[in-house]
Amino acid sequence: MTLLEVAGLDVFHGDLQAIFGLDFSVAEREAVALVGANGAGKTTFLRALVGLIDSKRGNVRFDGGDIAATPAESIARLGLCMVPEGRMLFDTLTVEENLLMGQVSQRSGSWNLRRVFDLFPALEERRNHMPRQLSGGQQQMVAIGRALMCNPRLLLCDEISLGLAPVMVEQIYRAFADIRTEGTALVLVEQDVKRAASASDRIYCLLKGRVSLAASAGDVSLNELTQAYFGM
Amino acid sequence: MKGIAISYAVIAALIAAGPLVLGEGALRFSTECLLILAMAQMWNLLAGYAGLVSFGHQVFVGLGAYGLFLISDTFDLSPYWVLPVAPLAGAVVAAVIALPLFRLREAYFSIAMWVFSEIVAALVMKASWLGGTSGLPLKSSRLVDLDWFEPMLFWVSGVLALGTMGGLFLLMRSGFGLGLMSVRDNDLAAMSVGVDVRRNRFIVFVLSAAGCGLAGAVSFLGNLYVSPAAAFDVNWVVYMMFIVMIGGIGTLEGPIIGTAIFFGLRELITDQLGISAGWYLVALGTVAVVVMLWSPRGIWPPLRDRFGLKLLGVGRTAPATAELAPVSGKAGQLG
Amino acid sequence: MAWLETLVNGAFLGGLYGLLGIGLALVFGVMRLVNIAHGEFMVLAAYLAVILVSLFPQVHPLFVLIPVVLAAFAVGYLYQAVIMNRVARAPDPLAPLLLTFGVSIVLRNLMVEVFGADVRSLQLGELSRASLNLFGLSIGVMPLLTLVAAVLLFLLLQWALKRTQFGRIVRATADRRDIVRLFGVKPDRVYNYVMGLSLALGAIGGVLLAVRSSFTPFSGVERLLIAFEVVVLGGIGSFWGALLGGIVLGMAQLAGLKWDANAGLLYAHLLFFVMLLIRPAGLVASKA
Repeated sequence: MTLLEVAGLDVFHGDLQAIFGLDFSVAEREAVALVGANGAGKTTFLRALVGLIDSKRGNVRFDGGDIAATPAESIARLGLCMVPEGRMLFDTLTVEENLLMGQVSQRSGSWNLRRVFDLFPALEERRNHMPRQLSGGQQQMVAIGRALMCNPRLLLCDEISLGLAPVMVEQIYRAFADIRTEGTALVLVEQDVKRAASASDRIYCLLKGRVSLAASAGDVSLNELTQAYFGM
Repeated sequence: MKGIAISYAVIAALIAAGPLVLGEGALRFSTECLLILAMAQMWNLLAGYAGLVSFGHQVFVGLGAYGLFLISDTFDLSPYWVLPVAPLAGAVVAAVIALPLFRLREAYFSIAMWVFSEIVAALVMKASWLGGTSGLPLKSSRLVDLDWFEPMLFWVSGVLALGTMGGLFLLMRSGFGLGLMSVRDNDLAAMSVGVDVRRNRFIVFVLSAAGCGLAGAVSFLGNLYVSPAAAFDVNWVVYMMFIVMIGGIGTLEGPIIGTAIFFGLRELITDQLGISAGWYLVALGTVAVVVMLWSPRGIWPPLRDRFGLKLLGVGRTAPATAELAPVSGKAGQLG
Repeated sequence: MAWLETLVNGAFLGGLYGLLGIGLALVFGVMRLVNIAHGEFMVLAAYLAVILVSLFPQVHPLFVLIPVVLAAFAVGYLYQAVIMNRVARAPDPLAPLLLTFGVSIVLRNLMVEVFGADVRSLQLGELSRASLNLFGLSIGVMPLLTLVAAVLLFLLLQWALKRTQFGRIVRATADRRDIVRLFGVKPDRVYNYVMGLSLALGAIGGVLLAVRSSFTPFSGVERLLIAFEVVVLGGIGSFWGALLGGIVLGMAQLAGLKWDANAGLLYAHLLFFVMLLIRPAGLVASKA
């Protein structure tokens, strides 16, 4: 069952085109990796999907419905959620308040404060702390937890591992396994190709706004990936 | 450039010939137009080119006027010779208050200027040696040849208007002007390439104060009377602001268009339609609000862009920073 | 003794001043907008109160606050939705500033044309003149009630912002306008509510001030300048700072009047300016 279907997507930054005729799909409960170098268009693509970029054209269908012209607030309520690049936590809200923001879209599901704290025990101890008092890894946990509280059907994760210690990244990726068992599909955007590939069923590679590779994670060699990544 | 120089000369000639052609009423009206245009250009210099919006510029208008009246009466000099005191008064006061005021940014600077103006106005009203709340008549008016009074005022206003426009034109084409516009658009970036932000802003602030001081002096000289309520009336800055807003902030042509609309509207509403001055201000405010909603840069920039007009060519446009602002911590990245 | 009385009454006045400022601070804190027309809206609320009182003389004047506050909220909501939201997003900070200045001109002169330039005030009869004797000081009852009302409103606002979901949404929108959309929040709608709240609080301040002193359509300027001074004095970003700033300003105002009866707001303005020179960050250091 295809959850997300993208066909011929063009995205613009002002007059500059950043994404060219992109095709992309995610099935229910699937984990898809999206890799590419700096500037390839990964974040732009995610932001366009989630409704934060208006200048786009093409087909985007989520759960059978056309969301190409839907505003971001409504897309969130449909269950397409994002953990933004750079975490983007609400700085004047506590950890707990940040997490509670996930409940605003009032989607039903199994994720609540208790379950997020079970997934990330370090957060429970710091529930009344401010984001700036947390380490990078802990902030990332808050960002993920916040998105989980929306009970998403599809979760877009933009560069989760950026700037984190490997141990932290391990821990977070272990959490992804739990998230998947709950029935949430994932899109993992990473610069670390191996990490993303190992956690996903399929992998796309983006190069200068176009798909340079789309395959099952198991079918692709590191060589092929590197070529697609750098455009050689 | 040659075309501009020629037009400038033509206008200067028209101004020189003005009093010979225009009747007294028309002359007074033209004087008023020229003075308001000059004031608007000064406000435009500060707001459009240095990025500082002042809601208190009326204080310089008043200080210039009072400076003129005070010195002229105290030393019994013909007011024409005392005129240079007016811009000086504005400049000195501006230089002094720049220090505390520049710590404030944007709206806070704007309102603090307003507070300062209220303070000065209140102090002047309490000072009996300045005539208190009733104000001062120009005692040295007897030194003035009344036959040539209106023409002289007209010529002075013309020189001021032409001078401010010419001065701005040259300023903006100079290195200083470029530095200024870079400060306006992004002061952090400007600083990083060595532009002295504070110094530039300071100079502009002082210049705009001086210009308003002189215009204020000439305006009240024409009345032969100055009172604090009129001298420090916030409506001065209201007029300056509306002309610049409606015409086009940060352009030289904008205030010209704005002044034309300002006076056109006034004559239409108060003269032709005979409606009271209060409704005129309501109309003015409404026009400004509507223009700000539909075309925040004023009327001139869209006209210029649409029809490729290029009259005086030193305008600055606010960059579309919304699209260029970094989406995440990694500046400049599209991916 | 008389001086102590002046200071205490000044503190009460300060509560009112704090109320004038809190609406402005709210809008600036959440939307980074300074609503120059804030003063005119306060005066408009006072006019509405005066009209309602004259239409319904059998009702105690203070009850008029209820419809006035509700009307102010509605006006604020519409003002933001129809006009301000269109410029709130402009990257150019000049546009909203100039726009609200334009709105203030329109309102001010509209009020002159519609209500006339006569001086008005809100009469409460006995209550305006009543006073208590506390610790040997003569304390006005209205001023005391006003301070109590101000503190209660501040507490209410703080509770709303810190402990309700609405407050969380408002704070989150103030932090990150775009990201908050990812959680189903419409930033424009949040702004509508905040502006409504701001004008409602301003209306309370405006009506209470009309009880205390008279007003004309031109009184909006005074109120705006006070509100602004209160916010800056207290420290941009601090709500309780605004109350403290108001109290300091109120004391300066009354002390100044005692010394120099015709000074109007001169001493309050002077204090503000001096504070700007020696402590620009405000009384309560801001976290912004």
